[in-house]
Amino acid sequence: MDCLDRYREIVPDYVGFRAIQSLPLYNSARINTLKIEREKLLERLEEEGVLFRSFEWYPLGLKLDIESPGKLLENLLGFIHIQEELSMVPPLVLDPLPGECVLDLCASPGSKTTQISQMMENQGLVIANEPSLARVAPLRSNCERLGVLNVAVTRYDGRNFPRGPFDRVLVDAPCSSEGRERRGPGVLSRCSRERSLDLGVLQISLLKNALRLTKPGGTVVYSTCTYAPEENELVVQKVLEDAEDLRLEKVSIAGLQECPGITEWNGKRLNDALSCTARYYPHINDTGGFYVAKIIKN
Amino acid sequence: MSQKSSRIRNVFEPLDSSLVTRRWQERFGISEQVFSGCIFFRKARSIWAISDVDLPALSYEAVGMRIMNCKDRPWKPTTSALQIFGRYATKNIIHLNQEESMIFLEGGSQVIESDCEIGYVVVFYRGDVLGCGLYSHGKLVSQIPKERRMASTIKGAECEA
Ligand SMILES: C[S@@+](CC[C@H](N)C(=O)[O-])C[C@H]1O[C@@H](n2cnc3c(N)ncnc32)[C@H](O)[C@@H]1O
Repeated sequence: MDCLDRYREIVPDYVGFRAIQSLPLYNSARINTLKIEREKLLERLEEEGVLFRSFEWYPLGLKLDIESPGKLLENLLGFIHIQEELSMVPPLVLDPLPGECVLDLCASPGSKTTQISQMMENQGLVIANEPSLARVAPLRSNCERLGVLNVAVTRYDGRNFPRGPFDRVLVDAPCSSEGRERRGPGVLSRCSRERSLDLGVLQISLLKNALRLTKPGGTVVYSTCTYAPEENELVVQKVLEDAEDLRLEKVSIAGLQECPGITEWNGKRLNDALSCTARYYPHINDTGGFYVAKIIKN
Repeated sequence: MSQKSSRIRNVFEPLDSSLVTRRWQERFGISEQVFSGCIFFRKARSIWAISDVDLPALSYEAVGMRIMNCKDRPWKPTTSALQIFGRYATKNIIHLNQEESMIFLEGGSQVIESDCEIGYVVVFYRGDVLGCGLYSHGKLVSQIPKERRMASTIKGAECEA
């Protein structure tokens, strides 16, 4: 018995889902186009005899068949950034454009901040917010190593981040991280329904504030690396209930198989529109676990 | 609002771009056009560069990239800034071979023959800028920050709640 048991009814092929938890995840990295072109980077890795494979769904994502990719010269020089495969999904769903003003409400260590920055070609502005002093240092050093020039760092509690408006806001919320078991075995021992309910309260406040800070017509992406409905669909359902000007847009990435967000939990019906949100399971794409919702403010 | 914006002024002070670009021009021959997409701020003895935008009135920890330090004389460029702007340098450049690069990336000092002026230099290996070095009396001393040296390990695990 552990905290995953309660997902037996919602996870397709539950046996496969359980079995893959003990398989470690391969290393992966994102090519940083602010500093190098994809072709050049691939050439370099080939020359050095590093074994790699591009993601099927994202040409800038690489699976690396080496033990310590962090030690590669390419990483030290900021040509690549070590990042989980699914962590590259939320920025693509956010879809920021060069010149826009974007808020990353829960930013450290900045994997998604820096991906957003590169999608914006170092133009416009990304505010990377991270309240924890200890976590501001890795956020800043990743931005500097990756050659980011369009990011400013703030340290507000995301629930009280004071002012916008922003074209797009990413809420990559603090969560119970159940989807990280393959990377850091043991996370599950700290998970429970109670913990998820507590986190849900924080997540709802963060998401509500994000929506307040968004321009009409703007986009908010909410993501977690957990399976708990209390931190995913129930959070999104709560903000939809409390506001009238919101709608969900379908989350789907070509080449990566998502499962629809759940619309029923513990015998209770949820908002049908939640099926537009996406659940990513480890046994389906051989990844970690993630949840992503895309909300448009009318 | 006014209280907040005065706070920005107190911490990150806007800086006329010519004050910055002139120095990079003088030391490295980098043309001011290279910086045309940026605006500059000063905080204490550091100078920061960020994409040219109106910054909302917030209290900031960092505004773009720290590009130079003016605490001591001469001013010192950061390795991060050289990795972006250094490839446009036309002087005070040192090219290293593989063995020398390793020493440099590990943070070491070494004897290198060069006609660079005394002071900070842009260090290259096979066309890539490795970072900032200090050159004097035939010796090159690596200025690569500790956490970006060759032996260092990655930190800041992603996604810790
Ligand atoms: C899942 S991690 C973010 C990972 C990051 N987006 C990335 O891709 O590298 C969640 C972050 O939220 C931060 N956090 C915790 N409480 C917060 C709050 N009240 N407001 C904003 N951020 C918070 C945590 O310190 C943590 O760094």
